[in-house]
Amino acid sequence: MEQILANGLYLGAQYALIALGLTLIFALMNVLNFAHGQMYVLGGFVTYTVYAQLGLPFIVGLFASALTLAIVGALIEKFLFRPVIRRSSREESTMLLAAGIAFFLDAVILLVFGEKQRGVPKIVNGVLNWDFRLIMPYDRILIGFLAILAIVSFILFMQYSKTGRAMRALAQDRVAAQLQGVNVDRYSMIGFALGAMLAGLVGGLLVTITGVNLGMGGPTSIKAFMMVMIGGAGVISGAIAGGFILGMMESIGLSVLSQYGDITYLAIFASLMVFLAIRPQGLMGKPWG
Amino acid sequence: MKRNQIFALAAFLFVVLIGVPWLIQVTGRWDFYYTLTSVALLSIASAGVWLTFYIGRINIGQGAYALAGGYFSAILVTKLGVSFWLALPLAGIFTAVVSIFIGWPILRLRGVYFAMVTLVLTEVARLTALAMPVTNGAKGITSIPLPSGIASLENTKLGFYYVAVALMILVFAAMYRLVNSRIGHLCRSLQQNEELASSIGVNITYLRIIAYSISSFFGGIAGAMFVAISQSIYPSSFQVADSVNFMLNCFLGGLGYVFGPMLGTLVLYFGWDLLFQTGKLQLLIYSSLLILLMLVLPNGLLSIRLSSLFGDRK
Amino acid sequence: MKRRSIIKSMAVAVSASAFLSVTSLGAWAANETLKIGFVGVTSGPAAAWGTSNVRSMQTRAEWLNETGGVKIGDKTYDIEIVTFDDQKDPKRAIAGMEKMAQEGIHYVVGPNVDDGAAAVRPVAEQNGIMYFPYAFPKELYTAPASNAILGMIANYQSGPAIYKYLKENKGVQKVAFVAANESDPLSQRDGGVAAAKELGLDVVSDNVTYQVDTTDFTPVLTPVIQTQPDLLVLSGVAPANAPQLIRSARELGYQGLISTETAQDATVLQEGAGEMANGFISVGGASTPEIASDAMKEFVDRYTKMFGEYNDESNTKVYALEYILETLKANPAAIDSVDEFKTTMDTFSAPNPYMKGDSQLKYVGTTSFGQKRQVFVPMVVNEFKDGKFETLFIAEVD
Repeated sequence: MEQILANGLYLGAQYALIALGLTLIFALMNVLNFAHGQMYVLGGFVTYTVYAQLGLPFIVGLFASALTLAIVGALIEKFLFRPVIRRSSREESTMLLAAGIAFFLDAVILLVFGEKQRGVPKIVNGVLNWDFRLIMPYDRILIGFLAILAIVSFILFMQYSKTGRAMRALAQDRVAAQLQGVNVDRYSMIGFALGAMLAGLVGGLLVTITGVNLGMGGPTSIKAFMMVMIGGAGVISGAIAGGFILGMMESIGLSVLSQYGDITYLAIFASLMVFLAIRPQGLMGKPWG
Repeated sequence: MKRNQIFALAAFLFVVLIGVPWLIQVTGRWDFYYTLTSVALLSIASAGVWLTFYIGRINIGQGAYALAGGYFSAILVTKLGVSFWLALPLAGIFTAVVSIFIGWPILRLRGVYFAMVTLVLTEVARLTALAMPVTNGAKGITSIPLPSGIASLENTKLGFYYVAVALMILVFAAMYRLVNSRIGHLCRSLQQNEELASSIGVNITYLRIIAYSISSFFGGIAGAMFVAISQSIYPSSFQVADSVNFMLNCFLGGLGYVFGPMLGTLVLYFGWDLLFQTGKLQLLIYSSLLILLMLVLPNGLLSIRLSSLFGDRK
Repeated sequence: MKRRSIIKSMAVAVSASAFLSVTSLGAWAANETLKIGFVGVTSGPAAAWGTSNVRSMQTRAEWLNETGGVKIGDKTYDIEIVTFDDQKDPKRAIAGMEKMAQEGIHYVVGPNVDDGAAAVRPVAEQNGIMYFPYAFPKELYTAPASNAILGMIANYQSGPAIYKYLKENKGVQKVAFVAANESDPLSQRDGGVAAAKELGLDVVSDNVTYQVDTTDFTPVLTPVIQTQPDLLVLSGVAPANAPQLIRSARELGYQGLISTETAQDATVLQEGAGEMANGFISVGGASTPEIASDAMKEFVDRYTKMFGEYNDESNTKVYALEYILETLKANPAAIDSVDEFKTTMDTFSAPNPYMKGDSQLKYVGTTSFGQKRQVFVPMVVNEFKDGKFETLFIAEVD
């Protein structure tokens, strides 16, 4: 039981951090960023290059990932999303753009970093073993802790900084925020950069545990979508809740349903569909979605 | 129909039924038959996605119905010995019925919520196919006999091409008719404002389910046709990537135009095929062109002044 | 518009360099060209599988062309590899096979997965194409099917041999199986379970599965480890997942053996699991130092020079092209007739250039498929040790 909870918490922390960036971008710009998973993968490869290839400290790799993705995110917003949003008659059109960017990043990652699975040396050795009731490697504990730290600082940033407040105003009501003198273009760009940076940060953190390969992008996006749906689209607390709920569901489902084989994920997906049919706006979303 | 519409229709029929086979005969590019057959079938499935767009829902779950339709016809043909020509419409009806049960609860969802649930639906379909005994689980159903009639042809590619194109013409004719009918006008009112439509006495639940089941019918027959061509089906025959592509086809062609999905499919699918000689740069060039297209024509390809020829604007 | 001009100039540069390389070859050998095809996955999550195929073929082709081409009958040919990326989509794989037929190609390597291999069968048979899938379903190779040749050793051939060895030499009694919930791994798991039961082993867990995109395998493996197996089999595991699974199992305190029947890459294992991967058993080709010939070593060198990094999966994938060319040499009429090729297959035999000793290239598979529809590759069972593979034992398939 302790093991299941610990697994779920660890999974939840990493999931929540992935979902945060996605929901932030959605809240600010109504863009469903299909390329979120690819940004996560890119972050992983940057940390891999800095930490494993160049031999610099892990923390440098982490900063490099965050910085690279923040720049990539800002550029994508300024030169791709902004002109398309301005000129398209339906905002869903950005989905095609996002998918195009996802393909593009996939192609770049394949050409630059290759097709192989990559991993980095362990950052901490050793395993916490509490009487075989709870087994948790130290590096996993550290990464889980760092993920929670990142989540907390993100919330504090959104709550108390000027930029954070401006972005929250923007998310609530774009027009009203504009009327009150919020520079919409500027904060959209910062928001997108921040969302991409979070994706890069998780990529950098997780490369130490799971490694990274170019195929992880698409499935990661889909998982992030699911968490955002559970919690409510565009709501930050919802994304965090969604991440932890999905993590727990996986951990519990895989233990309880293990003897039934292939149905664990089927059960998770089906219950998600039923849940959304009953509560169409997720846990905390606005009813109009 | 206006005169120029009749002319456009005649020109289109001439091109796909006579022009293309003649060109292939002359150039000897026999491989294009399969590519164009695929385009026809994928555009049928995309047409279904377009129809759900028409009622204001982003559908990323068409792959699930294509898979269900494919399995249904494969099981009918291999286990019960039903003729493929009967199994094909039955597969469509089967998926339409299934979609009523799935659509009834989930069509209440809107915007990204509906989109995400349908995306999950594709994965549910794959896992269901893996878990069920009747679908033969992971081993799939293989060595499915060719449809009678086509099997006796000397050139099966040509046979499949004509069947697929005929189906595509029927589907798009039906769509055109539907969009310009009373139901079509009602659907458009749903797209704009559901509350308003409901308040003037439109039964929106009923209307949405009708549209969604027609959409799934298209997915089902497209899937069944593909299975007939590949003579095999696996749980991975239609996956999330297919569902996403069906949606992208609609975006690329233009959501405001009935024939958008057809053009979008042609460009996206054919584009990938034409780039195959670029080797490892294929994906890079393909995605760059896609992004470029979006920047130049964010409202879809058909937004460049073809509206007067091909159907009306939304 | 800037982007377009960049693409244009890129296209110009690419075609120019292609033109240059063609002319530079043409300058010293005016050979005819023999096209060999590849249809498989070189992008997306499974890109590693097809990429190692394509690169093996390209490395070998360039090597052959550089040394004057391949003499088949009275003519000497330069080898050109035509590749098609099917994105692991069976519908695209059909299109790829049609392209190969259009190019007049009769010999194709791939596809890499079960659904693709089944989907291209009608096209291959209609157009007279022999293809070498890396997929295991038996109906691809048993009559009435006759155009597919299994390009490696199937899990239902290597699995029993591995389990038997481990039972006799390491005292394995209890076995557990884990597989991804996709067609290929699940089919391989079912085959493995049947083989283990036949050997009288106790299968303690065989229904735990995982999504290929799992980022944390601890919850997946927890119930499996609790059954305390002596051997954990990772059925059909993708090279990307193998190190994570090994690492999670070891961190959960698992002490027993871990094995798989697919080919793996030593660098990937070393990076992903480090010394925790020591003792991991997998099936490889002929590259361990004990058996690799000088030609194999040169192949690895050339591959590394061309693409920057070798992939150990190519140890098995180097063979398909060799078989095609050697069989064509044995019967030049087969160049445009797969019927001739099929006739030759029954009696074909040539020395294996990649292995020390007098190992032969020949077609096998009569026991499994009732006809010779498999390439004969020595079944080298490897053990991972400190970043390298060591030979555990060698067996043969008939």
